[in-house]
Amino acid sequence: MARLNRLGDLERAVMDHLWDTGVPQTVRQVHDGLCARRELAYTTVMTVLQRLARKGLVAQIRDDRAHRYTPVNGRDELIAGLMVDVLGEATGPGGRQAALVHFVERVGAEEADALRRALDNLDAKQHSD
Amino acid sequence: MSVLAFTILALALTGPVPALLARASWPLRAPRAAVVLWQAVALAAVLSAFSAGLSVVALLADGGPAGWPLRLAAAAMFALTVVIGVRLAAAVVSVAVGTRRRRAHHRMVVDLIGACPRDDVRVLAVAQPMAYCLPGMRSRVVLTEGALRVLTESELAAIMRHERAHLRARHDLVLEAFIAVHTAFPRVVRSGSALSAVRLLVELLADDAAVRATGSRPLARALVACASALTPAGAMAAGGPTTVIRVRRLAGPPNSRLVALAAYLAAAAVLVVPTIAVAVPWLTELHRLLAG
Repeated sequence: MARLNRLGDLERAVMDHLWDTGVPQTVRQVHDGLCARRELAYTTVMTVLQRLARKGLVAQIRDDRAHRYTPVNGRDELIAGLMVDVLGEATGPGGRQAALVHFVERVGAEEADALRRALDNLDAKQHSD
Repeated sequence: MSVLAFTILALALTGPVPALLARASWPLRAPRAAVVLWQAVALAAVLSAFSAGLSVVALLADGGPAGWPLRLAAAAMFALTVVIGVRLAAAVVSVAVGTRRRRAHHRMVVDLIGACPRDDVRVLAVAQPMAYCLPGMRSRVVLTEGALRVLTESELAAIMRHERAHLRARHDLVLEAFIAVHTAFPRVVRSGSALSAVRLLVELLADDAAVRATGSRPLARALVACASALTPAGAMAAGGPTTVIRVRRLAGPPNSRLVALAAYLAAAAVLVVPTIAVAVPWLTELHRLLAG
């Protein structure tokens, strides 16, 4: 479990580095960037980058001299994708409704008014109790 | 004539019964029992449809009804049963696979970009106050920075209880079954009303868990804060304004044990009575054969 968490942390750190630098990075560059903050083996960084590539999060660019890695999506794009899922706008085979369990659904202006009235009622009731 | 009886039962359980149940207001006061009743009705509907098909097979094996129109009708009904079975099985598999794939991807992205204040909690850099959970083996409760900013401590506690209730009771599995039925038969039967009813009911169950921990006011305030901030873009989300129903319910009368008991009895009856109706004729037949 601890190992998994470390791997997750590493993936985050690698993605953060790729997002922050903004230009395709070689393994060496990512390694140097991360080593400013922690001790890391070069091969570990390479493994993490390959994992991220398999997950479709980073793309590999074949250069003359070295492979360079770049994020497939920006941070904002990923968040936007999550929100599409959350707000139930996503379409797809089955399952789109059970993947997440929502706390509330979106409401219109009319429902928002009704909500505030219902809340006032609850407040009034609890004050009179 | 068991074929006719099962056919009528299956039709009743897929048409008028769900329609009535979806319109009833008592489930608000006995959500757990109501979920059980919905499950019993759905299961009984499927079982009676299959029983009708099996009775037809028995009929055909016995030499069949006289005359080709009846034989043809019997064969058509048997084919229909097979189609129902195959569609249902296919829907169960595709919903299960699709749900897990989508969820795994969502969790991967959440883990990658969300802040992690606690083991299974992730916070997204989103201004709108939102909370949801990702059920499963490695479950997550996801909050937005907006939620942390807007909600008070007790409101946040209420939301966390709500989400953890979903995760612990695996409400997603309950929903998944109804989604599968609805995917298999989107129009023919009243599976849509069943699905939205059950979706509301599991929210009520999680609401009740939150109320037990923090009282109704923090939960109601959190509901309103989150719902009001989500501006509708395009069409309304499916299911209608259930948040209004939930907040009104928090101000209404408490859950009723009597109503729950009645619903449990109804659920038992829906499952047991048809089973006995099948079993008794078979047993008497068996008895007759053994005695003869």
